[in-house]
Amino acid sequence: MSSRTTIVGAVEIGTSKITALVGEHTGREVVIIGCGECPSRGVIKGSVVDYRAATECTQGALELAERDANEKIDHVFLGQSGGHLEGFYNEASVNVKAADNMIETDDIRTVCDLAKSKDLPLGRLVVHNIRRPFRVDGRLVPTSPENLVGQRLEVGYWTVHGQEQRLADNIHVIKGFNLEVRELVLSSLASGHMVTSLEERQNGVLAIDIGAGTTDFALYRNGAPHTTGVVAVGGGHFTNDVSIGLRLTETQAEKLKVRFGRAVVQAKERDDKVWLDGNFAIGDRQFSRHAIESITAARAWELLDVVRRKLGQAFSPEACAGGVVLTGGGAKLPAFAECAAKVFGSPARLGEAPGWVAENLRDPGYHTALGILYFGISSLTDHAAPARRKAGFLSNVTRLFAQT
Amino acid sequence: MSKDPQDTPATRSWREIPQQVKPRAMSSGGRVRQAMGVLRVVMLALAAAAVCWGGWEAALAFHSGGAQELTRGDRVRSLVLVTDGVLGRDWLARTLAIPPDATLVGIDIDALRARLMADGQVRSAEISRNFPDRITVRVSERSPVARMMVQDGAGAPAMLLVGRDGVPFTGRGFDAAMVDSLPWIDGVTLCRSGASFAAIPGMPSVSELLATARLEADDLYRTWRVISLNRMATDGDIEVAAKSGMRVTFSTREDYLRQIARLDFLVASATDPTKPLAEVDLALGSQVPVKFGAAPPMLDQPPVNTTGATPSRATISFPSISTPRIDLKT
Repeated sequence: MSSRTTIVGAVEIGTSKITALVGEHTGREVVIIGCGECPSRGVIKGSVVDYRAATECTQGALELAERDANEKIDHVFLGQSGGHLEGFYNEASVNVKAADNMIETDDIRTVCDLAKSKDLPLGRLVVHNIRRPFRVDGRLVPTSPENLVGQRLEVGYWTVHGQEQRLADNIHVIKGFNLEVRELVLSSLASGHMVTSLEERQNGVLAIDIGAGTTDFALYRNGAPHTTGVVAVGGGHFTNDVSIGLRLTETQAEKLKVRFGRAVVQAKERDDKVWLDGNFAIGDRQFSRHAIESITAARAWELLDVVRRKLGQAFSPEACAGGVVLTGGGAKLPAFAECAAKVFGSPARLGEAPGWVAENLRDPGYHTALGILYFGISSLTDHAAPARRKAGFLSNVTRLFAQT
Repeated sequence: MSKDPQDTPATRSWREIPQQVKPRAMSSGGRVRQAMGVLRVVMLALAAAAVCWGGWEAALAFHSGGAQELTRGDRVRSLVLVTDGVLGRDWLARTLAIPPDATLVGIDIDALRARLMADGQVRSAEISRNFPDRITVRVSERSPVARMMVQDGAGAPAMLLVGRDGVPFTGRGFDAAMVDSLPWIDGVTLCRSGASFAAIPGMPSVSELLATARLEADDLYRTWRVISLNRMATDGDIEVAAKSGMRVTFSTREDYLRQIARLDFLVASATDPTKPLAEVDLALGSQVPVKFGAAPPMLDQPPVNTTGATPSRATISFPSISTPRIDLKT
């Protein structure tokens, strides 16, 4: 390993499982060299509620990943989700200083600082500042407006902030393994990057990551994230609904949900029964397929409807030509895309990882971790790159993420 | 919405969260990682300290004169000669001529080696310093296969030995009986090469002939007195004059062993003492012209100053030997 090569880890602390990926970052590219996964304990709705259990599980995943990679991780990019995350939009504008109205770096810096400077409530910390495209005299500028001529420069930021204690808990879980968190990455952005193409993001697309405890979504417009959000409802709620509705244990309900659950009711006959276990053992029972599908479909509709209501005016089928892309373990529920198409009135599909992702990492459950890794790398290169650096290969890779 | 950037409040970021946790909040794996990290830092610090200490000690030694001592070194107190020949320690001391106050690191190894190599008897030499006060010289010597008579600048006759590779040299320390048994070389011109002589052209071929004869027909070899290279350059022939007066012509283009075998057969066949073999020409392949003559007197003196004294065929007693005039003192 050369001296410039760093071993980076991407960790997603989910409600059902903790995923860790190990990448070898050479400064020009990153290669995934290890993967580890561990069932999650002590985490509810993306928040750590049992520090010891969460630390042990995270350590297990990291150790597996390090063993798989045969390398020691230097630092970690940590995915961030949970109902405590909120976002708001703030914009600012400045008059161009130069007499010839040519926009300079100082103008850009000033307007960006202003747009990011909104005060947060007590106990809230910024997780992400996502810049929307610049406007020069109302004209949309997707990239840097430097050297363009105009009188007024405007920019807006979508700021994602979270509760300080919950962010600290997640960070301390990683530090409990004596690893430094180099970057926090919003899970919705991470997974959204992996399942949407640049063209879709340019035309407008909504990426929804349905996890076990939370559902993250990111709406893209003009190639950049427009709105992000988290709904504290996930696949676990589907299981809980089945458990309560059919009076089953969580394990039994999970089994029925996976085998017979659907996001859109398909069963016509109410007398169509399915066995709980199907092994003729004592205690095995029959349940109505229609009932199971009705429960899961109702929850799926409700979940997507909550997302639609949270997006509000930001989402409209006309401004979202890319449609809706679903990912995450919860999206594996059959007919979820069909349900999303009905709720949003827009085409919907299940997201797939890019072609360069290895076969063993193409499962929707890894999309967020993959996105965390690549988003974290691009953030690092963003910080490291000098302001007036000429565009090179690294810049192009970085721009791939920056344009989102 | 335009605002003065000076009034921009500092928005708190997640980076303000202190990441450090108390040891009790760390997992076992985390504690192991931390210990390994501390150990690595300690090892690096120790390595750095060792480097600094070494530098400090070197600086101290330099300032206290240790380095000066090291540079100057001790005087050379002993010379060790390792050779595969006959040269002795006296020759070595005389040749190297190291001043009594010379130090081990102060002497010029290359110059010493050049002095050794100026002696033609030395084929290769290697000189090494052995601290604190010894110089070891490893010498590979030339073995003589023939000898030649020359005249020095004063006209006095002098004998040179010739090595297998054709390099003539004075020859020191060899057994006199061995030297007396060597045949003489004739018909060559010596050339200077630096402080010694250049190798005689064609001598390797002659050496091969002599070695073959000595190995396969030692009785014949013992009778050979003069090896002439007069026709070597023009015809590729080697002429050998034996003590009995017989002259044998060998060809360098044909196998020596076969030619010697034919000569041996002819010598063994010529049993009539009244008609000894006078000339045998082995350079014509299977056809071997032979000339018989009267019994000549025996040769037992070295052929000196006989340049151009070629007797008639019927009365020839000594082969002609040219003696190149060489100033050995130059």
